[in-house]
Amino acid sequence: MWVLCVLVFLAIAYSLVTNPRYEWDVVAEYFTAETVIDGVLLTIMLTFVTMFLGTVLGILIAVLRSSPVMPVRVLAGSYISFFRGTPVLVQLIFWFNVAALYPDISIGIPFTDIGSEVDVNALMTPIVAATVGLTLNQAAYMAEIVRGGFNSVPKGQLESADALGMSEWTKLRKVIIPQSMPTVIPATGNQLIGQFKETSLVSVLGVADLLQSVQLIYSRTYETIPLLIVAALWYLLMTLALGYPQSLIEKHYSKGTRAGTPVPLDPALAGAEEGR
Amino acid sequence: MNEPATRQQPTSEPSQVATADGHGTVYGRQLVKSFGHRTVLQDVDLDIESGEICCLIGPSGSGKSTLLRCVNGLEKVDSGILRVNGEDLGYEETDTQYRPLSKKQVAAQRTQIGMVFQHFNLFPNMTALNNVMSGLVLVKRVRKQAAAEQARSLLAQVGLDGHENHYPSALSGGQQQRVAIARALAMDPSVMLFDEPTSALDPELVGEVLGVMQQLAEKGMTMLVATHEMGFAREVADSLMFMCAGRTVEYGDAREVLSNPREQRTQQFLEKVL
Ligand SMILES: Nc1ncnc2c1ncn2[C@@H]1O[C@H](COP(=O)(O)OP(=O)(O)OP(=O)(O)O)[C@@H](O)[C@H]1O
Ligand SMILES: [Mg+2]
Repeated sequence: MWVLCVLVFLAIAYSLVTNPRYEWDVVAEYFTAETVIDGVLLTIMLTFVTMFLGTVLGILIAVLRSSPVMPVRVLAGSYISFFRGTPVLVQLIFWFNVAALYPDISIGIPFTDIGSEVDVNALMTPIVAATVGLTLNQAAYMAEIVRGGFNSVPKGQLESADALGMSEWTKLRKVIIPQSMPTVIPATGNQLIGQFKETSLVSVLGVADLLQSVQLIYSRTYETIPLLIVAALWYLLMTLALGYPQSLIEKHYSKGTRAGTPVPLDPALAGAEEGR
Repeated sequence: MNEPATRQQPTSEPSQVATADGHGTVYGRQLVKSFGHRTVLQDVDLDIESGEICCLIGPSGSGKSTLLRCVNGLEKVDSGILRVNGEDLGYEETDTQYRPLSKKQVAAQRTQIGMVFQHFNLFPNMTALNNVMSGLVLVKRVRKQAAAEQARSLLAQVGLDGHENHYPSALSGGQQQRVAIARALAMDPSVMLFDEPTSALDPELVGEVLGVMQQLAEKGMTMLVATHEMGFAREVADSLMFMCAGRTVEYGDAREVLSNPREQRTQQFLEKVL
């Protein structure tokens, strides 16, 4: 088994090094090119902004999803089904073209003159459409993750909180959320990594993200493969870089489980206590 | 055991009057609770005076937990009168109607009723000290410093000084249960409910928890205890209720019921557990 793996590995390495069509010099040349770096920055920004907004909205939807009011539950459920059940690419293109559906919307106080008319076509620039599309889609996935986390909190914990007379809000903040973190954080980390790669879809809207940047270059120079390697390496680098903070956060929230148990302040006293 | 006869029916007396003299009492009449088609409590009466220790015994599934959970409002009774600390639980009596309390008001009533669960249910993400402080800080809005001080002295009371900074996972079952008792006591309740507080413990740890409960009883706390510990019932309880299939089979003076059970089902049950 070992021998086979080593052989396969060597074969790939050999091909990577000896096949001149990989054009590693071109890869090196463009890896830190200004447009590529700009693309990387935009991809990072788009990822974090949509992830943040999507998470906030997702938590809200998760709370609504477990509301005691049936229509609210149904509404939240429909949102989740709709956005998870349709391709992100379709959603992105939809938002970009939403002006066809609602040419202008007016924002203001109903039945008064206060407010203003907004031209949707001008508003829905590629970057706005990309942000809206990715956020709304992400919110649906995050809502499911958060809901799964809420459900993972044992019933006894909720009863304890109730028995102490905690308000629903306090219970959510101090009991439910902290205890759902161990399930929510790893899933959110995976979601973030997924979102990094998913942002590449916005290139179809002409947003100058990482993928679009390299596409612009290779459409000019025809060095398609090396530039795609540049993009791939950057995506790989960024997703790998995320793994470390994720493990730190997971450690933080495993407080109180066996692994995170602190040493007793005074071992002698603790020892005496055990003897009771 | 002698409840004033005036409490037999819901009267229109203002509830403040009832509060003033009802502190630490539990009063139930014809309590009924069903889950779907299953009737779990059928016409259960309760009369517990201030400072009284009442033990609930009965086979598994007889409705002991359900009764306790009704008494602190975790479950709502379908019908019957239930007054804890002299107040109708979850309801408010006005001159004209009987209407449900808001969530906030129910929560306020609950702070007066301490509950200790079979499986401790400590918050695993908080240290022992923070567990005990949780009700004070998060519900009563006591300042952290003062709450910590109070929590320390409560932990000392249950014999856990030096364990303030331990997470529940680092404590034995008996220690966890004592933290849970301290957590409930922190709210300064007038009635304490215990749902089989020692059933999940290794036999050698049962004593330390019963000891704390006995201390509490001696201090005059009203306690309603579902338990299989007949020794505790005999030594500490004033009254005892034997339940079977959701009904009260026998209810009276604890020693009397234990040594001279009148009902055959009680006799059979006691023979089995003793
Ligand atoms: N939430 C619920 N939904 C449906 N049935 C329930 C629920 N809670 C309790 N029951 C049923 O009510 C009956 C009484 O349960 P309860 O837990 O009160 O018994 P118990 O006397 O405490 O028993 P144990 O000694 O096993 O704790 C059981 O048959 C149980 O299946
Ligand atoms: Mg039970």
